Amino acid sequence: MLSRIGESLYWMTRNLERADDTARILDINVVYMLEADEGATEEMQWQPLLNIVGADELYPQRYPDKRVTVQRVIHLLTQERDNPGSLYNSLRLARENARVVRDRISNEMWEALNEFWLAVDKHLKTTLQPWRAAEFYSYVHREVATFFGLAQSTMMRGEAYGFTVLGSLQERADMTARILDVRYHLLLPDVSMVGSPLDYYQWGALLKSLSGFEAYRRTYQSGIRPIDVVEFTVLNPDFPRSLAYCMDGMEKALERIGWVSQGSVPEAMEALRGHLDGATPQGVLDQGLHEYLDQFLALLAALGTALQGDYFEAHLGDDLAG
Amino acid sequence: MLRQIQSNGAGQFQTSPGTQAPPMAYHEFYRDDFRPREHYLPMWEHIQTTGQQILGAKAREAHLTLHTEGVTFTVYSNQDEGIERVWPFDILPRIITAAEWDLLEAGLKQRIRALNLFLKDLYHGQRILKDGVVPPELIYRGKDFRREIMDIDPPHDIYTHISGVDLIRDEAGRYLVLEDNLRTPSGVSYMIENRIVERRILPEFFTRYRVRRVEHYPALLLQALRFLSPRGAENATIVVLTPGIFNSAYFEHTFLAKEMGVELAEGRDMVCKNDKVYLKTTHGLRRVDVIYRRVDDDFLDPLVFRPESALGVAGVIDAWRAGNVALVNAPGSGIADDKAVYAYVPEIIRYYLGESPILQNVPTYQMTDPQDRAYVLDNMERMVVKAVAESGGYGMLMGPSSTTAQRAEFAKKIEENPRNYIAQPVVQLSRHICYLDGELESRHLDLRPFIIYGDGIEVVPGGLTRVAMTKGSLVVNSSQGGGSKDTWVLAD
Repeated sequence: MLSRIGESLYWMTRNLERADDTARILDINVVYMLEADEGATEEMQWQPLLNIVGADELYPQRYPDKRVTVQRVIHLLTQERDNPGSLYNSLRLARENARVVRDRISNEMWEALNEFWLAVDKHLKTTLQPWRAAEFYSYVHREVATFFGLAQSTMMRGEAYGFTVLGSLQERADMTARILDVRYHLLLPDVSMVGSPLDYYQWGALLKSLSGFEAYRRTYQSGIRPIDVVEFTVLNPDFPRSLAYCMDGMEKALERIGWVSQGSVPEAMEALRGHLDGATPQGVLDQGLHEYLDQFLALLAALGTALQGDYFEAHLGDDLAG
Repeated sequence: MLRQIQSNGAGQFQTSPGTQAPPMAYHEFYRDDFRPREHYLPMWEHIQTTGQQILGAKAREAHLTLHTEGVTFTVYSNQDEGIERVWPFDILPRIITAAEWDLLEAGLKQRIRALNLFLKDLYHGQRILKDGVVPPELIYRGKDFRREIMDIDPPHDIYTHISGVDLIRDEAGRYLVLEDNLRTPSGVSYMIENRIVERRILPEFFTRYRVRRVEHYPALLLQALRFLSPRGAENATIVVLTPGIFNSAYFEHTFLAKEMGVELAEGRDMVCKNDKVYLKTTHGLRRVDVIYRRVDDDFLDPLVFRPESALGVAGVIDAWRAGNVALVNAPGSGIADDKAVYAYVPEIIRYYLGESPILQNVPTYQMTDPQDRAYVLDNMERMVVKAVAESGGYGMLMGPSSTTAQRAEFAKKIEENPRNYIAQPVVQLSRHICYLDGELESRHLDLRPFIIYGDGIEVVPGGLTRVAMTKGSLVVNSSQGGGSKDTWVLAD
């Protein structure tokens, strides 16, 4: 496969996953805003979202008075053209990459994504109002799910499929780690507070941002406990947004793609694996969740660099095959 | 110059300069008594029985289908990026009878065979120039004559593997060649998409005719490309070379790569080493055998042509010269569809094949000829003036609809660089009914059939019919607001 095509497949799904995850954190926040929260200001509710998606530096540039409001955060993360990570730009890039690999994905996938993009582009010509936002985000979830469903049912399980899975799972692991880091830190700034009464709604919101609320409840009968939340979202191999699950899937995807001899991807994967394998929930909390996740994100970024070197930049020094 | 080679048309035109009103355009659909022509009757009867309203719903459905499927083309504007538009499609098909098609097919094959011999001659012994049939200065001053490829032998001596010849019908209904597109003609994907949409939208029309198939074009193309592979057809690595997603024909490039199951590559995806071309893949370098390039000569190889080009592959011409890769179409083919050379094609056919041309040219005035030039400058409002090396309706003056200022501008350009222009009398392109905003209206159109030269010459029965959507307009290019129709060639 052409290096450029592999790269586009990877970024097509990575951007789609990003759009979906962005929609989900916004969606959950919009829903929770509906009922009054004692003592919580608008800023307290919405600032964390900026931290999660890394827009906390962009925000004051865009809004010099730095006042955090619902309308502004929704706008910045959903449709701001100057925010490279906005839902709008993520979808635009996903579609642009799909256009590049149009001959590599099924017609069904292309048509679904193209139609989705055209509708979103049209819809976001006007400002998205907070009371209409939930409806829009659920539309985004449905369409992204349709695309991935079509990918699963129409794509050959070869190299191309491998790159699409790799892109989406890497982005998902990245988002899970970020959501967990920011939210957990706000909910439980001090490890000594483990065991104190928890804000059911806030913790519920964290799990819902990861589409894991119901699954968590079914898995852990004893209510929401921080240590269980860590085990579930970091280490549970069966929860499809956990770091462990994403790692397993990425390993399988890389097997489909095939390892490059003397490449640096195996080493990067091993480092990630080692970071997860020996870990226990208690150990993670003792070490400090923030430090643990920070390291994970660094290792994930190193994998991104390794992928670039091994697959997306063919070397002239290589053996001249065939 | 013109009078030596043109047996009809221009000479007579000169003696009676436009005293009478321009003749009426030929109508493809109606006879002179406003009854539909015989081969359109089954379709017409069907519309009469079901009622015209139903066409409105069908037209909307067609647009929606093309929109969803992303069948688009890009219009260049003054901004950096082009604008992506949905392919404009008129639902009423254009129908060509079997007898008409037989004539067209024979004429096109004859023309392409002769033009290939011409190119081989130009880049080798230049017999035709020495024999004084084509003036040497016309060739040497042509922008698309490439000295760099003299004496190179392309595989099987084929230069123009893929051509799309533009045909029009004059006032008498006679098919004339307007342009030979021998570089990287586009439109074939739209020919197929039009058919796919038409079949979905109007199956009831098809049941009343025996329409010949066109969808095997990519299979024919693949066969021809494999035939050219220097290492044999088995395991040949074939790529479609595209300038990238901002190119107006990018949709077509992906379409063809996908239909043929070959790689769609950009220049930056390839690299040359030891006179061989390689693809950069996720698992190292892979040798390339055939490049169907949709990049112009100028941009193909920065080492040989334009040095600043980032769209091509440095070293690809050397690899081609060494016989390690086939380039489709061959570099340098453009000189044979240069608009000034065009006037000599009937002579070229006679010279190489010893046959009379089956398809005629539109009369053409050479601006290098003082008499022709003086006549054209005096009659600009009745002329179409074209820059010889431009295509897509760019660099053109439509005399009848031009302003005094535009005419003055072109007159100046002609005087400055006569080799760069030709002029033709305005031909009223034939018309056809179109379904526009709930009404049946007549619009002008042309026809671009596609010819593949591999192990033999094949013409796919059909082509791209382009329609000038603006009332009265004679410009059909999609870049200038043209539309299209499905084109049916009948089996009997």
